[in-house]
Amino acid sequence: MSVRTRRAVLALAGATLLTTALAACGDDGSGGDGAKTLNVLIGANTQYPAEQQAWMTSIADTFKTQTGATVKWETFASANDELTKIQTSVVSGIGPDVYAIGTTFTPTAYSTKAFVTLSDEDWTKIGGREKFIPASLGISGPDQQNQVGIPWVGRPFVMAYNTELLKAAGIAKPATTWDELTRQAKQLTKPGQYGLAVAYKDNYDPWKFIWGMASQAGDPIVEGRTARITDPAVKKAYQTYFGWLTTDKVVDPAAIGWTNSQGIAEFAKGRTGYFALTSATAANTLEAGAIKGKWAFALLPTVPPGATSRPANGVEAASILSGDNLVVADYSKSKDLAFQFVKLITDEPAQLEMYKTFGVLPQNAVAARTLSADPKLGPILEAQSKSVATPFTGAWADIQLALTNAVVQSIPDLAKGPVPDAQIDSRLAAAQQTAQSSLDRAK
Amino acid sequence: MTRRGTAAGEAHRLLPRPLLVIITLFLCALVLVPVLYILLASLNTDIGVAEGQFWPSTFSGSSYTRIWTTADLAGGIGNSLVVCGLVAVASALLGTVTAYVLVRYSFLGRLTILRGLVGLQSIPGTLMLLPVFVLFASAGNYLGITVIGTRWGLFVAYLTFALPFSTWVMVTYLRGLPRELEEAARTEGASTLVILFRIIVPLSLPAIVVSGIFAFLLGWNDVLFASVLTRPETHTAAVALQVFGATQEGGALPVYSQMMAAALICAAPVVVLYLIFQRYLVGGLTAGGVK
Amino acid sequence: MIDDRTATREAPGGSAATQAAGRGPAARRRRGVTQQQRPLWLLAPGGILMTLVILLPLLLAGYLALIDLDQYTLRRWLRAPFIGLGNFTEAFQTGLLHSIWISLSFAVISTALTVPLGLAAALVTQNAYRGRGWVRAIFLIPYVLPSFVVATVWRTMLQPDGIINALLAKVGVAGGLWLSGPKSYWTLIVVEIWAAWPFIYLMALAGLQSVDGEVHEASAIDGANWWPKLRHVILPYLRGPVLLACLLATLSHINNFTLPFVLFGAPAPDDVNVLPMVVYVTSFQGLRFGLSAAMAIVSLLLIAVPLFAYLRALRLDVHDDGGRR
Repeated sequence: MSVRTRRAVLALAGATLLTTALAACGDDGSGGDGAKTLNVLIGANTQYPAEQQAWMTSIADTFKTQTGATVKWETFASANDELTKIQTSVVSGIGPDVYAIGTTFTPTAYSTKAFVTLSDEDWTKIGGREKFIPASLGISGPDQQNQVGIPWVGRPFVMAYNTELLKAAGIAKPATTWDELTRQAKQLTKPGQYGLAVAYKDNYDPWKFIWGMASQAGDPIVEGRTARITDPAVKKAYQTYFGWLTTDKVVDPAAIGWTNSQGIAEFAKGRTGYFALTSATAANTLEAGAIKGKWAFALLPTVPPGATSRPANGVEAASILSGDNLVVADYSKSKDLAFQFVKLITDEPAQLEMYKTFGVLPQNAVAARTLSADPKLGPILEAQSKSVATPFTGAWADIQLALTNAVVQSIPDLAKGPVPDAQIDSRLAAAQQTAQSSLDRAK
Repeated sequence: MTRRGTAAGEAHRLLPRPLLVIITLFLCALVLVPVLYILLASLNTDIGVAEGQFWPSTFSGSSYTRIWTTADLAGGIGNSLVVCGLVAVASALLGTVTAYVLVRYSFLGRLTILRGLVGLQSIPGTLMLLPVFVLFASAGNYLGITVIGTRWGLFVAYLTFALPFSTWVMVTYLRGLPRELEEAARTEGASTLVILFRIIVPLSLPAIVVSGIFAFLLGWNDVLFASVLTRPETHTAAVALQVFGATQEGGALPVYSQMMAAALICAAPVVVLYLIFQRYLVGGLTAGGVK
Repeated sequence: MIDDRTATREAPGGSAATQAAGRGPAARRRRGVTQQQRPLWLLAPGGILMTLVILLPLLLAGYLALIDLDQYTLRRWLRAPFIGLGNFTEAFQTGLLHSIWISLSFAVISTALTVPLGLAAALVTQNAYRGRGWVRAIFLIPYVLPSFVVATVWRTMLQPDGIINALLAKVGVAGGLWLSGPKSYWTLIVVEIWAAWPFIYLMALAGLQSVDGEVHEASAIDGANWWPKLRHVILPYLRGPVLLACLLATLSHINNFTLPFVLFGAPAPDDVNVLPMVVYVTSFQGLRFGLSAAMAIVSLLLIAVPLFAYLRALRLDVHDDGGRR
């Protein structure tokens, strides 16, 4: 027994030693007394982790040479993680100085009033609004005077198609209207082959279709402070979206269980005509699959379903305005440093570097112009130029959720057959209610 | 400790051999089939896993080398081992001490404390996240003690969350310990602390090991608090693992194969530790102690 | 086997305060609980920690539930408008009760089904044999694997075209949808059981260690067969640990967020919209912190009632004499 007790005491002593050692080297604090530090939070890039490390080091070195300050990088694993981080930082006033946030999240960030609304002076420090592609500023704020987001990188959405299958079916070029897409998909569907791959169970995809189709038909989902979800355009969007699976039968029945990753894996097998929603970052995956060399990107259709041309009040929305914006925290004690940093990574050299390394589109106008010469980038650049911002309201996160929820709850119905109109109506009514109450609460 | 093959061993047998074999095989299969899937997926390509393959169409062991660069896994595992190890020890011991007082002595509020400890177990983590963060941040803002981002802060948080459970495990166990040993010690003038460390701890080692394991696992698998209370240098393994599970909106595949490999690598230290400590999960320490 | 060693090796002369002054045999014979020389100070470290790190934040969370805290007021939360029970009334209107019901029933069923597995595992690893250590370690694996990995693995296996359905098809059974619709509830239960049964196993194992060797020998002498011995002699020893394990396991199932989140995504199908999901989506995606705090507190209170009833019914908190079963 004594041996055991002695061991226990020794273990305890060892533990105490370890702990004190920990306290010494683990205590990090929020940065420099003496040298200035800037804390920056960006998304972790699992596709190019080593390259991201290298890029972060090189930017940090450049910044140090320019300003003498150190950059402390932090990465988040997913949008949810970042959201949690933002919340804790806003509440406590401790956290990163610069955040890279998704564009669709910018309105929510804006509504917390925790980020710097950029004055003209601030814009000058960053390099001026003119530095950026005009369209990219669409989701920086509710209007020109109240902008918080600085465009950083673009990731517009496009669709991917199988060049071989389309050629074999005699289709000269990819569809430009949703009806044409359905028609072509039907042509491409035969035993062992499907015309369209759609990820019904993805948490982020469904609402983009609805928004796109509705906006093209003239319904921007949110008008002022009113939600327009029980609009016929939205209903038609859902019917089309569900219809691919249930009435047109151009989608693999297993798709009701697919997330975007599974959808793209399926498409990469080479037996599907179109993959409905993806972005340039899928290129690696596609090259790794059986479809290698036989695929290409195309612009998503811009004519709403049930029409042959866009109505007068319809918007040519080829993609949501998608990418990352940079925001500077209001609680930051190094705002000027932050602006200098933002200037660094939104200047042409850094932007082109990021494109070369990660495949993300620059939002710097000069850099973008340089790239427009590249033929491979055709559809992607076009999608970026035809990107339309989602409504700028703090309630957008809820509205997104409500639109997605309507799909989630319909999945069991989808498995059985066409979703009855009445069901769609009732789900849209529920979504309308949630969305409207969120909008009412918006301050 | 081992009772093999003797008549005494037979007496200790709880189940007939055939039943024992069947049950063991069944349970092992239940556990190992999904684990086998994880192993196979770690040797598959990302696209193969996304397709839902069980048996990889192409084998590739590259994930096991790539995980160390995709996220700071080594640092994460190191931090986790240190923090969780300390939490396990501290929680088990502190739990024993607290349980001892609650079991052997009566005082006003004893029942309330006991019930309260169980009540504390039912508090969801999501409720506590913001308040705990605010508390720790205030310590930094107003008292100048930096807690956020240190291993210390994480240790304190995990220790406190593990304490109610550890205490209750020890309460249940200590209740069954015969008092005679302690009383004999007391008549010889031993202090409470001595009784605790010389008698109680050695006798209740199985329960201490169990409560230590749970405390360790609580910290090891926690993501919520670790993700807000740590900075990149103090990230735990669980936070590092999150990077692998990241799903980008539309486009790139999550690095499934690396995620599976990292998961196995992260599970390994715990299993190894358990292999080491499970030998303490044996009885006989109270056997006939005072008869 | 007389364990004299501990008894005889006590260091005489501990602190003077614990000299057996005034402790007559009468005190000792009173229901086994002593009144004098209570080292209550030993409760201090644990008490201070728990007060600081759990109770204080809990009070704060209570305050958060009473104010209108959302993304718009988060920054200046100390000045957020006080709305009293407003959040609570809204919580009830958002289907909270439905979620609580799903969570409770799922938790209870999962616990009930993990008990036989855990007990069986403890019983088969109690007796020593070669390789037992490995088997014990294998049994622990589901509990050690991170929740989100377990969920991802099962989600992949349960896809409409995943291997579970493929295997079922071979036996001629149509699998159907496991991750949406009515079956999703049972999917959640099955996956939770797979991940959580080692908890009961560990607790039962610890409990089995406190069975005296003499008890085994006595029943062998009595000629008891394995089943009656198990039932009447051994299992009663496990009553305490296993019942406690059931309680704690149920609580942890109720609060388990990661598993349903990764398995089903958010927003979740109605059938598995468990409480932690609702709270998480409300606070971390909808950014309505006041509302989600209110939801969590309501659920806490609703769960506390059966919790304490359970405790009282099983007299787990009442003191009983050492050594008596």
